Amino acid sequence: MSVGELAAELVLMPLVAFVAGMAMVLMMRKIGARIQRRIGPPLLQPLYDILKLYGKQTQISHGLIHEIGVIMAVGGYVAAETLLPVPGMSGLADKGGAITLAYMMMIPSLGLALGVGQCANPNGSIGISRALTAMAAYDIPFIIVIFGAAYVYGTTNLADIIAIQQQQGVPGWGIARMPLLAIAGLIAMQGMMGKHPFEIYVAPHEIATGPMVEMGGKFLGGLFVMQCFQIYTIGVLYSTLFLGGGANWLTFLPKIFAVVAIPMTIAFVFPRYRTEDVLRLMWKWPVVIGLMGLAVVMK
Amino acid sequence: MTALDNLLLMSAFTALFALLSGNRPTAGSNLTVLYGGQCLALALMAGLGYGGSASIASSLSFDILGHALHWRFDGLSWFFAVITVGAALLSSWFASGEWAQRFRARGGNLRLFHATLAINVTSMLLLLASGDLLSLFIGWELVSWASFLLMALAGGAAIRYALRYLTYAFAGAMAVLLGLVLIYARTGSFEFQALHDAAAGMDQATLWWLLLLLGAGFGIKMALLPFHLWQAKAYAETPGPGSAFLGAISSRMGLFAIVVVFVQLIGIDRLVDTPVPFTFLSARDLLAWIAVFTIIFPTFTALRQHDGRRLLAWHGIGQGGYMLLGVLMADDLGSAGGLMHVFNHATYQAMLFMSVAAVMHRTGTSDLNKLGGLVARMPLSFLAMLVGIIGLAGLPPMNGFVSKWLIYRALIIEGSPLLFVAAVIGTLGTILSVYKLIHNTFLGQLRLEHVNVEEAPLSMLLPMMILAVIVFVTGYFPGLVLDWVAAAQASAGLPVLAHHLGGVAIDKGGLDMIWVVSVLLAGFAVGALVFFAGNRSKRVHQLDNYAGGHFLSADTRYQYSDNFYPGLMHLIGPWYRKSFRWLESGLVSAVDTLSLSMQGLYRAAHPSFYLLAVVVFILSWVVL
Repeated sequence: MSVGELAAELVLMPLVAFVAGMAMVLMMRKIGARIQRRIGPPLLQPLYDILKLYGKQTQISHGLIHEIGVIMAVGGYVAAETLLPVPGMSGLADKGGAITLAYMMMIPSLGLALGVGQCANPNGSIGISRALTAMAAYDIPFIIVIFGAAYVYGTTNLADIIAIQQQQGVPGWGIARMPLLAIAGLIAMQGMMGKHPFEIYVAPHEIATGPMVEMGGKFLGGLFVMQCFQIYTIGVLYSTLFLGGGANWLTFLPKIFAVVAIPMTIAFVFPRYRTEDVLRLMWKWPVVIGLMGLAVVMK
Repeated sequence: MTALDNLLLMSAFTALFALLSGNRPTAGSNLTVLYGGQCLALALMAGLGYGGSASIASSLSFDILGHALHWRFDGLSWFFAVITVGAALLSSWFASGEWAQRFRARGGNLRLFHATLAINVTSMLLLLASGDLLSLFIGWELVSWASFLLMALAGGAAIRYALRYLTYAFAGAMAVLLGLVLIYARTGSFEFQALHDAAAGMDQATLWWLLLLLGAGFGIKMALLPFHLWQAKAYAETPGPGSAFLGAISSRMGLFAIVVVFVQLIGIDRLVDTPVPFTFLSARDLLAWIAVFTIIFPTFTALRQHDGRRLLAWHGIGQGGYMLLGVLMADDLGSAGGLMHVFNHATYQAMLFMSVAAVMHRTGTSDLNKLGGLVARMPLSFLAMLVGIIGLAGLPPMNGFVSKWLIYRALIIEGSPLLFVAAVIGTLGTILSVYKLIHNTFLGQLRLEHVNVEEAPLSMLLPMMILAVIVFVTGYFPGLVLDWVAAAQASAGLPVLAHHLGGVAIDKGGLDMIWVVSVLLAGFAVGALVFFAGNRSKRVHQLDNYAGGHFLSADTRYQYSDNFYPGLMHLIGPWYRKSFRWLESGLVSAVDTLSLSMQGLYRAAHPSFYLLAVVVFILSWVVL
C-alpha cells in the first residue's frame, strides 16, 4: 500500500464512521419514535443537533481538564476507527488488532471521567462512578467474546478475521461457528451502548444526577459526536467478529445497521436496571453463556 | 578489575558515603550524582543488555568450606540492575531538596534514610550478581534486612508493619535455606550448573519440595498469595521516596529469584511435566493460578483503600501477578511481557508514589477523603499521576499497555481463556481504583484549607517528569526496552522475542505502538480541532455549577469521595471476607499456643530434670 493510499484511508475511515454513526443515531430516534407512535426527527436532525450545540453562545468550561476530557472522548474514537477495517479499507488493522481496539475504546471513557471529575460537581462524579462500574460489568463478557473470536480464527488481526469468514462463506461466519459467543456479545453490546436497560450511568432523563450535569454546548456536542462513533464502532466490531464483515459497502451497511437496530429496539421497550443489577446481570448471563461458548469452541 | 567490580565498588562507596555524610544538606544531591555514577558503570556493561556479551564476572570470590562463592552479571541481572539503580537515582533526587529538609525538621533521621537506600541498592546488586546458590542466599538475606531497615525508618506504626514483614521474611528465608539444603543433598554442589544438570533427572517429590520451599520463600518477597498481607502497609508507611523505591523494584527481587531458579535452572518444562496430584493441573498451571489470584484479590483490595499510598501499594502486589503470569508462559511473547512489566511497573509505580508523596508534602495527608481539586494548584503533579495511572491501568499510549498486551497475546495463543479473563478482570479493577485515586486527589472540589497550596518543588517535579517521559516514550517505542528484555530472555534460557522499535510483528496479529500512538495523538488533535471549532467557552469558578435545586454555599465543599463505587460494593462488598487475615491470625495463634506450651514444658514444669536428662544424654553420647 502506498503512503498516499494509507493516508487517505486514515482520513476516510473516521469520516465514514462519523457519517454512518450519525445515521445510526437517527435510526435509533426513528425506532424510538415508531415504537411510541410518533413520526420522529427529520433526516439531518443529528447534524443539526451537533451544529446547534457547537454554535451555542453559552459555553461553560470548568477548566482545562474539562476540555481535554471531551477532546479525549472524541479523539480516542477517531483513533479507534482506524483500527477497525471496513470494506476496501484496512487502515491500521495489522498494527493493532482486537485487543488494542478493545483497550482503545476505554480511552474515551477515561477522558469523559477526567472531564467530569474536573467539573467539581458531586453529581457528575456519582455518574462516573456508575459509568465505570458499568464498564467493569460489560467488559468481562466483551473480553470473553474477543478471546473466543481470536482463538477460533487464530488471529487478533481484524482484517484477517474478516478475510477468513468471507473465504468460508456464511457457514464460516462467527455467528455460525460460535453462536453462544454471539449471544453473549449481543448482551455485552447492549451494555456498551449505554442504552436501556443499562443506561442508568448516562441517565439522560435526569441530567442533574449523571455525568452530563455540567456538560453544555460544545461539551455536550463532543459527547454527541462520541456517541455516534461509539454506536458505529460497536456495530462494526460485532459485524466483523460474527457476521463476516463486509465484502462491499452494499452488504456491509445493512449488516451494521441491522446489528445496531437490535439493541435499539430492545432499549425502547425496557425499563432500567440499577447499577448493582447491571453488574449482577452482566456477570451472570452473558458470562455464563460466553464461557459455555468458549467451552464449545475450544473442546 | 572488571566492569562489575566497578559497579559493586561504586555502590559500596555510595553506601559508605551516605553513612558518613548523609546528614549534610547537600547529601541528597551528592548521592544522586553517585547513583548516576552507578548508572554509568551499568552503561559500561551495556553489552549485556543488547546481547553483546553473555556474562561479566566479578573478581570478588572466596571459598567457604570448599564451596566457591562468586558473583557475575548476565543479561537478566543487568536488566533488573538498571531498574534498581534508576529507581534509586530518581528516589534520591526526589529526596534531595525540600523533602529532606522537611523530613529532618520533623525529626526524621536523614542519614539513616540515605544510608538504608544505598544499602538496599548495594544488597540488591549483590543479589542480582549472585553466581551460585550460596551467594544467592547471602544476597537474599541482605536484601531482606536492608528493606526492613528502610521500612522501619519512619518509626511508630511503620515499625510494627516492618516487624510483620520481618516475620514473613524470616519464614521465607528459612524455606529458601531448606530448599538449598535439599538441592545440596541431591546434587552435592551449590553451583547453578549442578542444579541445571540435575533438574532433568529430578524426581517429582524433590521437585515438589523445591517448588514449595523456594516458591514460598521467593513468593513471600513478591507478596504472592497467600503471603501478601505484609506488603501494602509496610510499603505505604515508608517515607515518600523510600516507598517509591520499594514499590518500584524491591519485591521484584522475588521474581528475579524465581526466574533464576525455576526458569533458568530448573526450566518451566519440568514444571509443566509435574502434575498436581489428583487434578488435571500441572505445577505450572498451579503457579499461574496463584499469579492470577495475586492479580485479582489485591487489586480489589486496593479498590477499597482510602489512603493513596496504601492503594498504590496494594496495586503493586497485584501487578506482580502479571509479571509472574507472563514469565510462566515461558514463550517468547508472554515471558517478554512479564519481564517488560517489571520495567514498566517500576517506572509508573515510582512516579505514582512520588506524586502522592508530593501531595503529602504540600497538604500533609494522603487520605483520599481529605483531598480533592488539587489539579488547579498542582498541575504538574497531576500530569505525573495521570500518566502513571494510564500506565498502571494498562491503557495505550503508556508502556503498561505494551507489556500487558504481550501477556494477553500469549494467553490467547496458548488458549487459556480463564487466565486471560482473570487477568482482564484485574485490569478493570485497576481502572476503577486508579480513577478513584486521581479523582479524589486532584479532581472534584478544592477544599478550603488547600486553596493556597503550591505546586511541588522542582526537586520533586523533575524526577516525576523524567519518569513521565520514560513511561510515555517506552510506550511509544517499546523496542527500546524490548532490546533489554530480549537479552534477559536469552540469559534466562527463554525463547527470545523478535521485535522492532514499535513492538512485535507476528503474522497472526502483531502490535506496532508507533502507529497506534501516532494515530491516537492524531485523533486527539482532530478532537481538539473539532472542539475549538465550536463557540468560545467561558471559564467559570469551580463552584459555579448546577446543584439540582439544592442550596450549596461556598463554605461547605461537597466532594464525592467515600465509598466511591457503591453499586459495585453493593454486589461484591460481602465477598470481602478477610479470609487471608483470618488465616494469618489463625497461624499466629497456633504458633503462640505452640510456643506457650513449649515454654510451659521447659520452664515451668521440671527444668532441672530436663537439664539432667540432656546432660546425661550428651555425656553418654560423648562417652560411648
